[in-house]
Amino acid sequence: MNNNKTTRALLGTGALALMGLAAAPAQAADADAERIIRDRCLACHTETGESATPFSRISEQRKTPEGWMMTISRMQQQRGLVISPDEKRTLVKYLSDTQGLAPSETDGLRYLLEKKPNVVESFDQLLQETCVRCHSGARIALQRRTEDEWKHLVHFHMGQIPTAELHAGARDRAWFDIALTNVAPKLAKDYPFNSDAWNSWKSAAKKDLDGSWAMTGYLPGKGNFDATLRVTKQSADDYAVAVEGTYADGTPLTGEGRAVVYAGYEWRASLTIDGVKVRQVLAASADGMALEGRMFERDDEIIGGSVKAVKGNAIAAVTPSYIKQGERKVITVSGNNLKGNVKLGSGLKLISVVSRDSSRIQLLVEASSNARVGAKDVKVGRVSANAALAVYDKLDRVEITPSESIARIGGAGGPIPKQKSAYRAVGYTAGADGKPGTDDDLRLGYMPAAWSLKPFDEIAKHDNDIKYAGTIDRDGIFTPGDAGLNPERKMSTNNVGNLTVVGTVQDGDSSVQGEAHLLVTVQKFVTPIIE
Amino acid sequence: MKLTNMFKRAALAGAIGASALLAGCSTVNTEVAQTPDTINGMKAGGHEYILTVTRPNQLHIVDTETNQLVRTCDVPGIFGNGGIAMSPDGRIAYVMTNKWEDVYGFDITNCEIKFSAKQSYDNVTVKSFISMAVSADGKELYTVQNPVRKLSDRFETMAPRLAVFNTDDGLNAKPVRSFPVDRRITKIGSMQNGEVILGGGDLKAINPKTGEMRMIKALQNWDRAPDKWVPPDAFAMHTMGEHVGEFIMPYFTIRWNGAPGDESQADFLWGHVRIDTETGKVESFETVPFEFIVFNWVTDPNDKDVLYGSFNQLSKHNLKTGETMGVQAMDHTYYNINMTGDGKTIYIGGTSSDISVHDAATLEKIGSIQLTGDMSTSDLRLARLK
Repeated sequence: MNNNKTTRALLGTGALALMGLAAAPAQAADADAERIIRDRCLACHTETGESATPFSRISEQRKTPEGWMMTISRMQQQRGLVISPDEKRTLVKYLSDTQGLAPSETDGLRYLLEKKPNVVESFDQLLQETCVRCHSGARIALQRRTEDEWKHLVHFHMGQIPTAELHAGARDRAWFDIALTNVAPKLAKDYPFNSDAWNSWKSAAKKDLDGSWAMTGYLPGKGNFDATLRVTKQSADDYAVAVEGTYADGTPLTGEGRAVVYAGYEWRASLTIDGVKVRQVLAASADGMALEGRMFERDDEIIGGSVKAVKGNAIAAVTPSYIKQGERKVITVSGNNLKGNVKLGSGLKLISVVSRDSSRIQLLVEASSNARVGAKDVKVGRVSANAALAVYDKLDRVEITPSESIARIGGAGGPIPKQKSAYRAVGYTAGADGKPGTDDDLRLGYMPAAWSLKPFDEIAKHDNDIKYAGTIDRDGIFTPGDAGLNPERKMSTNNVGNLTVVGTVQDGDSSVQGEAHLLVTVQKFVTPIIE
Repeated sequence: MKLTNMFKRAALAGAIGASALLAGCSTVNTEVAQTPDTINGMKAGGHEYILTVTRPNQLHIVDTETNQLVRTCDVPGIFGNGGIAMSPDGRIAYVMTNKWEDVYGFDITNCEIKFSAKQSYDNVTVKSFISMAVSADGKELYTVQNPVRKLSDRFETMAPRLAVFNTDDGLNAKPVRSFPVDRRITKIGSMQNGEVILGGGDLKAINPKTGEMRMIKALQNWDRAPDKWVPPDAFAMHTMGEHVGEFIMPYFTIRWNGAPGDESQADFLWGHVRIDTETGKVESFETVPFEFIVFNWVTDPNDKDVLYGSFNQLSKHNLKTGETMGVQAMDHTYYNINMTGDGKTIYIGGTSSDISVHDAATLEKIGSIQLTGDMSTSDLRLARLK
C-alpha cells in the first residue's frame, strides 16, 4: 500500500468514527455505503469509470455475508484499513445485498456458513488438488468472480503465502501455472460473477420474516427441543427475536436476541438462550415461510445442531420419529396452529392426548404388533407431516454421525480452547429385503445411545491413545485431552490419538452398535471466518 | 585429538590438491602450508564447525571437536528460514533472514558482518526459499529470488530469477546479474566448473555468467510411463553435502508393479540424485524404502554407498542395495542432519533447540548441544575454517 494513502486513511478515521457513533447504527442507505467505500476503500482501490463495476476489484466479486466480513477484516489486519465497527457492518450488509449469492448458489454448501463440523467434501479433482488441499471447497464455491478476479486471487496467494506452491500436493506440479491458466478460467465458468440466478433473485421481492415461528432443533448435551420463535421487525432486515420452548426432557428453554437478514434470505441471529450466547445461521425460503440451518454456541461452535422453523399452519417436527411394533410411548408433535383431529397411520392407535396446545401436542401412541413397517404420515387437522413417524420391527443397523471426525487438544493454560466433537446415533431397520445397509433400509431417526471409545488401529493401541486422547460423555460429546507435550508419551508427543467412537443402541433385549472414526489432533492455530 | 586433526588436514590437503589439479592451479598446497592454526582464537587449518540458526535470530557456531558452542552472532531482522551458505574458506556464513528476504554474511570468527543484501525493493517483495549458494571461488553469492509486486489493490507474481551478488560488494550489495529460472527452486549449490545447480521440480544447472541452462536430471518432467511411476515429489529443504563435495537431491516416488493405484503391489521409494560438485558426475538411485520419512540425507565420506537420514529416527542405508543398516530412535522430531568430514560424527538438528550428536558407526547418541532457541527449519551446515 502507498504510504500517503495509508496516512490519509488513518487521518480520516477519527471524524468518521465519531459520525458512526452519532448516526443510528441500523440500516444505512446505499448512498451511505458507497460513501464508506469511497472514504475507506479508495485509498487503495480505484474508480473504474464503469457504471456496472465502479470500484476496482470490489465490484467484480460476489460473496456471502461471511465472505465480505472476512475480506474487510483482512483489509483491516493486513492492509491498514481503518474502519469503524458500524461502517463495517453497513458495508457487509450493503455488499451482501448488492453483490451476494442467490439461495440456489449456496445449495449444498451451507454447512460452511453454518460452521457444521466434520463435513467430508467432494469436489472436482482439479479444484480439489489446487485449492481444496488447504481450503474447504465450499469456501471457493461460495464466491463468484470474473475471470480476471479469479486470476488476481491466484496472484494474491503468491504475495500472501509465498510458500503455497511448495506445500505437499503443490510442489510436485507447476502449481502456480496450473492455478492461473487452468483453474482460474474453470472457476470463472463454474462460479461466474454474472449469473441468471443472482440477477433474478436480486430483483425479486423479498418477504418480511416477522411473525411467530415454530422452531425445532437439537443441541448436543441438551437434546431435541421445540420452541416458538417470535420475530419482530425493527427496521428493514433487522429483527428482534425471542424464543421460548422446551427440551425433550421437559426442561424449558428461553432466550432473546437480534437477527439481521442479508441478501433477502441469509438470517444471522445472535441470541442468549438460558445464559449461553448462541448464533443462528439460517436460510429463509423464497416464500418466507421456512427458516432452516444450524444453531450453535458462540464460544464453542461444535456444540450446535440443525434447526428448522416454520410459519403459518404447519407441523415442525414429530419426536421421537420411530415406534416399534407392539410399543406404547409418548410422541410429541410440534408446530404452528395445531388445531383439529390427530390422525396417525394404520396400525398406530392413539391411546390418549397427554397434553395439548396450539404449538405442541403430546400423544400416547401404541403400535400394534402387526403394524406395517414403514414411515407414516402424521396429521393434525388439515396439516400433515409426511413420513414423519417410522414403524419398525427390529433395529438392524446403527450409523454414527459424523462418520469421520476431528477433535483438537487445547486448554491447559494455552490460548486455544479444546475443540470437542459430538456424535449421534441414527437407527435403521433393514426394509423389505431384510438386509441392513441396502437402499431400502428405513431410517428411523436419531436414537439414544451409550457411548464408548476404542483404539482405531494397532498403532493407536500400542501408543495407548485411549488413555491420553480424551473422553466421551453420556451425551456423545467427546472432550479431547490437554494441549502440550506429554512426557509420559513416546517422544513426549501431544495427547493426540486415533480412536473409534462406539454408539450402542438398545433395542429391547438386544443392542446394536455403530462406529465412527475420530482423529484427535493438535490445535488449529489459524481460525478464519470461513474455513 | 591430534591424530584427528592431522587426519583432517591431510584429507583436506588431498582434496584441495585434487581440485587444484582440476583447476590447473599450482599454488594451493603452499597456501595450506601458510594457513594459520587459529583465526581470532578459533582453530583453523580446516578445523570443522557446525553452524545453525535459532529463534529469535541467532547464528551459532559449534566446534565439532569439543561439541561446544564457540560463538553466537545476532542476525539482524526477523527470523527467516535459517538458511546458511558457507564461503569456501569456511569463514563467512551467509544467513537468510528477515522473513526470507535479506542476506547477511558473518565472519564466523568474530561475528562481524561483512556482507548484506536486502532483496526486496520498491513495491516488490522478494523471497528466497532457502536457495542460496556461494561460488567455488567465494567471489559470488547466488540466491533464487521469487519476486511479487504489490500494486495498490492487487499482487502481481513475477518470474523467479537467479540473482548474482559480488561478495566483495560488502554492505547493501545489489545483484550484479540475474537470469530467469524455474519456479519452486528450494536448494541450490555451486560446482567447481562455475555452474550453479538448481534444485526444484527438476535438477538443472545454470551458468551464472550467461544464464545458459542445462538439464542435469529431469524429475517431475521425467520420461517414464505414468502408469508405472508416480512423478516425483522432489522437494528438499536444505542444501548439504559439503562434507564430501556433493549436492544430493532426494525425492519420493511410487513404482506401480501392478495396476496404477494398487498400493499392495507398489514400491514406495526414495530416489536420490547425487552430483559430485568437483567433477559434475551424476549418480541416481531408487533403492531406499520410503518407510523412513526424512527431510535430508547425508553421504558417509568413508563409504559413499552409505547414507544417513533423520526425522523421528536416525537411520543408515546402503544406497546400492537398499538395505537398512541401522535404526536409532530419536528423542523427538529433528528436521536436519549433517556429519563431519571424517565420517565419524553425525549432527542432527532443526525443529527444537538441541543438536543431537551421534556416532556414525553405531548410531548411538553420544552428546547433545543445547542452544538458546528453536532451530525450526534452519540449515545445519559444516564449515571448514581454512
